[in-house]
This record gives sequence, structure tokens and C-alpha cells, in this order.
Amino acid sequence: MSLRKQTPSDFLKQIIGRPVVVKLNSGVDYRGVLACLDGYMNIALEQTEEYVNGQLKNKYGDAFIRGNNGKSSSFSLEDC
Amino acid sequence: MAANATTNPSQLLPLELVDKCIGSRIHIVMKSDKEIVGTLLGFDDFVNMVLEDVTEFEITPEGRRITKLDQILLNGNNITMV
Repeated sequence: MSLRKQTPSDFLKQIIGRPVVVKLNSGVDYRGVLACLDGYMNIALEQTEEYVNGQLKNKYGDAFIRGNNGKSSSFSLEDC
Repeated sequence: MAANATTNPSQLLPLELVDKCIGSRIHIVMKSDKEIVGTLLGFDDFVNMVLEDVTEFEITPEGRRITKLDQILLNGNNITMV
């Protein structure tokens, strides 16, 4: 387990291109590949799936999530 | 009463306290009925936090949520207390 001191900006650089889960304040989860993001936590995802309780919508292509909604961005390796 | 002009060198700043917790397990209370427990990897001036080995607790329905390993970035906007 690497416990280097890691600031959020380093973390964000590291996860671009990885599959992530973005959890919003409303409780909706978005799973997709992180295309890019900025300092306001605006997020661009590719091949996004939207989960409320079960799976709702499938979005292919790009999804843009505005930063003020974000509660947490969870970075987890989807089953390799 | 003297004005607040005490220069106390041993004063502990909040961000210093958070800095001391890096590497430790911490318990974060959110504005909503949710709590997050995890190992603190780092944070920034906005108290956005990078956590590892995270468990998420919903307070009202009394159930533990998903245990998310790897890392999360927790948005500081919704944090009430650490």
C-alpha cells in the first residue's frame, strides 16, 4: 500500500484514462472512463453508465458532469 | 480587554491538524446523513480529501454501503466534520 503524501491534484492527474465512478450529491452514480477534468471538478467521461438503484441510462460517447454536483469521485479499477 | 493580538507560537491551525492525520484512519461526517471512513492520503486548501480503503455509511437507514478500495477523491464542499 503506497502511502505517499498525495494531494488531490496529483490524484487527478494519475487517474485520467482509468475507469472511475463519479458519485453525485443526488445519489446517482456514473461509471465511465475518465477523459478529462478541471480544477472545478467538472468531469468528462466516456462510455458512461448511469446507476440510480439499478441501471437506468446508457450513454456512449462523451458525458459532461458539472463540478458543483460532485460529492466524490471514486477511482476503482473495474474488473481487470 | 486587549484586542486579539496574542502571538501564540504553539497555536494549532486546523489544516495542520489534518496534516497530522495523513496516514491514519479518519472518520468524516458529511452534511447529508452520510459518513466516510478511510485512510487519509492527502488533502488540499479546499479540504478536498484523497482517501483509501474507504467505507461509506448511511446513517438513517442504518446500513453499511459499499466498501470501496483503491482511492477516492472526496469533495470538500459537503464535509461537515473530520
